Amino acid sequence: MKRFVFGAVSAVIVSASCAMAQDYPTKEIQGIIQWGASGSTDTVMRSVTPHAEEALGGTIVMQNMTGGVGAIALNHVAGQKADGYTLLMGAENPLLYKVMGLGDKDYTDFIPVNILARGTPILVANPEAPFDDYAGMMEYIDANPGELRLGATGPGGLPSVVTGMIGSVEGEMDVISVPYDGDGPALTALQGGAIDVMPAVLGAAIEGIRAGKMKPLAIFDVEANPKLPDVPPVTDFNEGYNTYLPWGPFFGVFVAKGTPDDVVAKLSAAYAEGAKNPDFVELMDNRGFSMMGISGAEAEDFLAKWQQGTTWLLQDAGLTKASPEEFGIARPDAD
Amino acid sequence: MSRTTPSTAAEARASGRTRIEPDHHDGTSDAAPGGYEEERRPGELVFGVLLLLASLGLLWSAYGISGFQALSGPGTVPMAVTLAMVISAALIVLRTARLPKVSGETVLKDILPVTVMIVAALLVCYGVLLRPLGFLPTSALFLIVSIKMLSGRGWGWTLFIALGSLLLVWLIFRIVFTVLMPVGVVPEAELIQVFRNLFAGGA
Amino acid sequence: MDTLLAFLTIFTHPQLLMLVGLGTFAGVYVGAIPGLSVTMAVSILISFTFSWDVYPAISLMIGIYMGGVYGGSRTAILLNIPGAPSAIATAMDGYPLAKRGEAGTAIGVTTVMSFLGGFVGIGILALAAPMVADFALRFQPRDYMLLAILGILLVGSLSQGSLVKGIFAGALGLAVGAVGRDPLTFTERFTFDLSIMEGGISFIAVMIGMFGISEALMQLHHVDKAAVRQKISRIVPSLSTVRKHLPLSLQTSTIGVIIGALPGTGGDIAALMAYDHAKRVTKNPERPFGEGAMEGLVAPETANNAAVGGAFIPMMTLGIPGDAVTAIMIGALFIHGLNPGPMLMIDQPDMFWFIVGALVCANVFMLIFGLTGIRLFSKIVEMPRAVLIPLIMLLSIVGAYAVNNSINDVYWMLGFGFFGYFMRHYGYPLGPVILGVILSRLLDDNWRRAIISEREDLGRFFMGIFTSPLSLVLFCAVILIFVSQTPIWTRAKRRLLGRSGKEVEQ
Repeated sequence: MKRFVFGAVSAVIVSASCAMAQDYPTKEIQGIIQWGASGSTDTVMRSVTPHAEEALGGTIVMQNMTGGVGAIALNHVAGQKADGYTLLMGAENPLLYKVMGLGDKDYTDFIPVNILARGTPILVANPEAPFDDYAGMMEYIDANPGELRLGATGPGGLPSVVTGMIGSVEGEMDVISVPYDGDGPALTALQGGAIDVMPAVLGAAIEGIRAGKMKPLAIFDVEANPKLPDVPPVTDFNEGYNTYLPWGPFFGVFVAKGTPDDVVAKLSAAYAEGAKNPDFVELMDNRGFSMMGISGAEAEDFLAKWQQGTTWLLQDAGLTKASPEEFGIARPDAD
Repeated sequence: MSRTTPSTAAEARASGRTRIEPDHHDGTSDAAPGGYEEERRPGELVFGVLLLLASLGLLWSAYGISGFQALSGPGTVPMAVTLAMVISAALIVLRTARLPKVSGETVLKDILPVTVMIVAALLVCYGVLLRPLGFLPTSALFLIVSIKMLSGRGWGWTLFIALGSLLLVWLIFRIVFTVLMPVGVVPEAELIQVFRNLFAGGA
Repeated sequence: MDTLLAFLTIFTHPQLLMLVGLGTFAGVYVGAIPGLSVTMAVSILISFTFSWDVYPAISLMIGIYMGGVYGGSRTAILLNIPGAPSAIATAMDGYPLAKRGEAGTAIGVTTVMSFLGGFVGIGILALAAPMVADFALRFQPRDYMLLAILGILLVGSLSQGSLVKGIFAGALGLAVGAVGRDPLTFTERFTFDLSIMEGGISFIAVMIGMFGISEALMQLHHVDKAAVRQKISRIVPSLSTVRKHLPLSLQTSTIGVIIGALPGTGGDIAALMAYDHAKRVTKNPERPFGEGAMEGLVAPETANNAAVGGAFIPMMTLGIPGDAVTAIMIGALFIHGLNPGPMLMIDQPDMFWFIVGALVCANVFMLIFGLTGIRLFSKIVEMPRAVLIPLIMLLSIVGAYAVNNSINDVYWMLGFGFFGYFMRHYGYPLGPVILGVILSRLLDDNWRRAIISEREDLGRFFMGIFTSPLSLVLFCAVILIFVSQTPIWTRAKRRLLGRSGKEVEQ
């Protein structure tokens, strides 16, 4: 017994002192999920991580840490040692924190391990709504100003970005924007008739559409989605959307800046491997997410572009607290 | 306390003194809280005044959220709610001030005895030490000190009970439910990894 | 025939049966420990059962869910510390019984009634799921708001003693629930620019502090007193007892199913509403409410277990979670390659009937585990208080931390613990505080949604209420209950009914 304890203690000391990258991971890794249990981020992370664990040969203990639109989890991970033992599992929101006045940290304080997948926005309506497509909805709004109830999820959420996009392409819409605290409750309200139209992520609406509980108006993408081939892309109605699309929320795994390169490389490889697992690919496909699986410079480039486009879009729609300019986020070049 | 029929309970309440047990009832049942209806306990008025002041502060703070901007403003419900707090707190203070004091009760004996103060202080220490020292050492200290103090039994017994139950709590929360308490000075993750390797090696 | 086979799947596979049993057993203990929540257990199970088939994974989760909802009553009765929010009402009459040494009887009644409530919930799930789901969908923001107001009026029956103090406590709870960033506009409310306030105050932390820490501090007054010895000779309630409470339990189960089926409300609100209902309809309880009335145990326990079946209704028929646990189960179904949604019942009816079967099975296991092991549980209260009190405190701390892995929650928990201690001393009821915190978001968010939908126009808002039958019924209920709590009503009633006015006062 004594020898065992001694052995254990010395092993601890040894592993603590030379816990360098070559034998990473020497202990379990904490994965902090930015959103609550059962959200999309949670589902995605909990289904990819076991496959990544296998590739990594370590244990990743996942925890949900909610609050402050995810800022609490982000700040927590940023405050930990940059040794690759604390991962941030998050979605796109942190890129908007600065302009929304929600915090002074975002993904520029992190290194992307892997940006797993991207969602596609879709505009859905209650089946009893008096229009059947995007053009019909715009006509209805023109004919009945201030009557259409449009679901929202707070500033910076997907609906606010989509609404901002519509506003800048079509001009201001006169609608009632009813706030919900997530697309789940909003889509429930849509089915109950409390709201008429909701911009949502495809995966959240797809089952409702299949069952005829809500009807799709347009996909917010430049081409039709293979999951719903009959739903026209919004660019079919107005070419103006080409400026902003494709756009979508995404999920990614991050570590704090300063994490040793070889640790990041190991993690990236593990998640890239995990994301290839057929079960995971099928799950993502069912939910209508497009796989990305990018890391390194490619991912950083993607993040920077996303942030430029979205923050300026929100800024032009008058939804921000502070201009992106203040944080050195340049206006995207028109292309 | 014997069985009481509803009508006698109502009479007891109406007649004033609702002391349920002769030597101060322990106030532990939430449905019958620890105050007395027709008398003022020591410190009750001070508590009421503090609540009133806090409510006023909150009302001011609620007004600051969005003012009278819109019915749907984020501050509308908070304002209504804190207004209710202010009114009820004021009523409570007025009522309490008129009541006669309970005879024979003092703050030190009946409201805040020394034991309670010490344990409360221990809890505060726990909160302060939890982050720098970590969960295991802090909890061990807390359990040992409080059990020793409250039971007054020998060190061997105290240590056995304290550390035994701490181990149990730690196993349930840390291992089964993977709750990551602050580690502080104990290299917990490394320890667990060592055990994991041992088991993996043994199997 | 296929339906029957799917329903019986669970009973014909010993392995699945065992998993449900194991889950239920674990659930009872998870539920009993304040701070360990079913939600937490189920979300951990997602990673744990990741590589399993879907049936075993779901079996285990359902077991934990059923057992956990029931388990909360154990510590509520024995220690006056509800193990889960849905057991808050159970403590009010359960703990007085335990103080008399009648915890055995209390647990027995609780178990049998939970079983009964569970069955009503499952029955309605199996027979009328699509209907109830359609009904639940019809609730508009203004209806949720009216429901929240109805809930707030429960303050009257949750606060014996001073009603004003109860109102203060309820309003305080509502304010506490508003702390942090408003989820709809991200405006900071009551944060005083402190980062500790920004994330809001976890309602579980408030509950654990107010009930756990303040109770433990209170018990310090009697640290030397020997614990009440529990007589546990008679646990299973007699058939006549069950029969006597059958009408009430059917009513409260119905409350439970409906509240459970509504997305956004769950077993905690159901239990409190049922308690209030019991207090209203029971004219002559054997013992007054708050001092150990059986009706005070029957109502919340039937309701919170019926809410389990209720919560599955929108989940199975529409893919909309009825509460936090079913939300996680939807995630689990996704991970296991199913697509929960309105099509699930059509594409995979087997899954529905399998879940119904598993629920029935879990309910039976709950009865078995509930009626055994009481002796062991009772030993907990007979432990020396010098050990029990520090342990309760440690568990409260860990529990508060575990909710969101946040040390801030521990500070809040301790703060509310100390505050609750003084509230208890000075006769402020604690129940309304928790009620307020639970209902705060429901009231605030839905009021704002409702008034925004009507373009900030109060006239249109009331028009909406009067033209919708559902809103109108809820509105009338609010008015009636409110008026019945004011002195004018009591006086009027006394004049009208003469002598029987005395009963009304009860």
